[in-house]
Amino acid sequence: MTILKDSITQPEANIGKAFNDIACNSRRTPRARVNQLLRSNPNLWRGCDMAGQGFHGVATGYRELDNILPGRGWPRSGLVEVIARHSGMGELQLLIPLMQSVIKQGKWILWVAPPYLLNAPALTQAGIDIDQILIVKQDTPCKDALWSMEKAMQTENCGLVLAWQNWLPGKVLRRLQLAAEVGDTLAVLFKHNDSKYSPSSLRLQIMASATGNRDFSRAKVTVIKARGNFRPLSAQLSLYPETLSA
Amino acid sequence: MEDPDNSAQKPVATAGSHKSGVFKLPLANRCGPDKQSHTNDESNKRSAKSRPRRQSLWYALYFPQLSELSESQQTQALTELADLTENVSDTVSFHSQALVCEVRSSLRYFGGIDNIHSKLQSLIVPALQNRSLGDSFLYAASPTVRGSLLLARSGHNALVYQKESLRSALGKLSVDVLDLQREQRRRLHNMGVRKIRDIWRLPAEGLHKRFGSNFVNSLSKAIGTSPELTRNYIPSPEFSASYDLPHEVGNLHYLLPIIDEILIKLRDFLIQRDLSTSRLLLSMAHEKRSRTKIDIGLRRATRHRDHLLLLIETHIAQLTVPAPVVGLKLEVKQFDAFLSDSEALLTEEQIEHRSKINSKNLDQFMEQLHARLGDDALKSINTVAEHCPEYATQQLNYKDKKAEISSAGVANNPRPFWLLDAPIQLTLRGSKLYHREAITLISGPERIETYWWSGQDILRDYYIARDRNGSRLWVFRERRGKRNWFLHGYFS
Repeated sequence: MTILKDSITQPEANIGKAFNDIACNSRRTPRARVNQLLRSNPNLWRGCDMAGQGFHGVATGYRELDNILPGRGWPRSGLVEVIARHSGMGELQLLIPLMQSVIKQGKWILWVAPPYLLNAPALTQAGIDIDQILIVKQDTPCKDALWSMEKAMQTENCGLVLAWQNWLPGKVLRRLQLAAEVGDTLAVLFKHNDSKYSPSSLRLQIMASATGNRDFSRAKVTVIKARGNFRPLSAQLSLYPETLSA
Repeated sequence: MEDPDNSAQKPVATAGSHKSGVFKLPLANRCGPDKQSHTNDESNKRSAKSRPRRQSLWYALYFPQLSELSESQQTQALTELADLTENVSDTVSFHSQALVCEVRSSLRYFGGIDNIHSKLQSLIVPALQNRSLGDSFLYAASPTVRGSLLLARSGHNALVYQKESLRSALGKLSVDVLDLQREQRRRLHNMGVRKIRDIWRLPAEGLHKRFGSNFVNSLSKAIGTSPELTRNYIPSPEFSASYDLPHEVGNLHYLLPIIDEILIKLRDFLIQRDLSTSRLLLSMAHEKRSRTKIDIGLRRATRHRDHLLLLIETHIAQLTVPAPVVGLKLEVKQFDAFLSDSEALLTEEQIEHRSKINSKNLDQFMEQLHARLGDDALKSINTVAEHCPEYATQQLNYKDKKAEISSAGVANNPRPFWLLDAPIQLTLRGSKLYHREAITLISGPERIETYWWSGQDILRDYYIARDRNGSRLWVFRERRGKRNWFLHGYFS
């Protein structure tokens, strides 16, 4: 704990100290040592985590996904695009742990113009307090939906904004990204198609796992673009608890 | 400060010599009601002492029929009647089943007590009839509040101008008009006291001992030897400000500076009265068209100018007017007590929130959203203990109160996040199901049978399925009729 506290004020001096501490503990593997070093000092980061976020993302709740995301989780603020070519790919299930943590902070989740009726019992089953959920009604015009997203991101007790819009031009995406950064809120945009030059912080695609129907719970998530990451990475996740994949 | 009464007695020439150039017209005091000198009872009493000629005259209206109503109904009725009584007097005081108003100051204006009485009668009788409370009331006028009340209660519609004659007028009344407890009444009867003057014949010290000082005081208040307190009626506040534009305005955004001016007035008005508002009505006048009205409701009462302006701006942005605007009017429909934002000790989190550039709270966001998208734009959801999946979710307008949360009834079997508005029928080709792509059943069935009592019974077998794209589906098969397959939701 003391290392962390000091290192904020005097970074250079303490990196050496941290190295020493870890070197003394020689029983560990080199990889674990490096990990410990990274974790203990926010002034150090891996080259692939270019944005310097280190471990400061919000855990996604899926270890495999954390491993491929810069910052080891969802960004704290900004626009995330989740691309699922069809409904039912598990795109909401992917966000359930995030929603749980937002609700735990006592913040609201705004669903802007969802494509279908939201089924309350399913959310309750997933451990989400539906009292903290607000929905901007279905088939709201696109212009109004974007307006409410922007306003919601400026609202302090709104922790997460979910929206379903395809075909948004880059200019609009940039505006949303900026609004999310300024409002220090995370916005997730669900789309069916990928747009190439999007300014969002993170762009993911979720697909059915190659194993197909034999493994109902599995899905493949590819990071198409992430701030602070060069390589397109993908991971296989197990989305659902055992009950569903009977 | 010069006493207005004194200045009134000065000749015009001296009044004109005031350096300020502002002088009071000598006649103003004589022909119009002099409201300033009667703003409260205490000053009234003081002036009465120093100048015995300017006594006040209290007109009491007694409504014995109100005693049948409940307390809250009585207050309501009295408030309504007090509102009418304000037409003849600026000081109206509440008493049990009665109102007392000061009329000396308006005697000359109305031209005598008879005119005041007929004016009151014409106002109050219809109001009583509206509430089906009969069509009569008892009344009396005298120089003291309690004296008038007692006279009115006795049913003598008496008028006593001078304080000196009040004692003899009251003396004739029966002791029944006094507000006494049963025990006191019995004791007075046993003492042989029938009329009020009998009480006055008794030694004051003994009365104090036997009946308490309240009893003696109330009688001395009635004849004006000790001062009395009144509970004055304060009319509810009203705010309405209008502005006539010098020329027609088509672009509503040009109205905002004017609205801002009006809002400054409103804010000052509210601050002076320690109030806030939760409902406003903005109406815009057009040439030859009916007014455009915008009803602005707030989730939390406020008097914050910027907040109100932002809301009005949001309303206006969505508005199209039938014709250019020529006038504006802002009215307050609902006043609320002002509650300041209570802030706990500053935690770090709060400081952080404050420093955020656009920090707004959720209430303000919702108000803006309602203003732009309409009242039904924002929904919240609730679970209902219901087997049929369509009815297990209750979508509510956010403003509506939620029914009690019945989490006990939530199904144990997996449910999808998305439900279709209406189930889509699947095609069955050979032994394969299709919805755009081929569908494979993964698990099930879960049998749901309900509404058998309503004639539109639901008999379904639900399956979890997957199509060739990998979409996770929730499908069911009807167990009656043609036994068709339907897609009902997505496990997203």
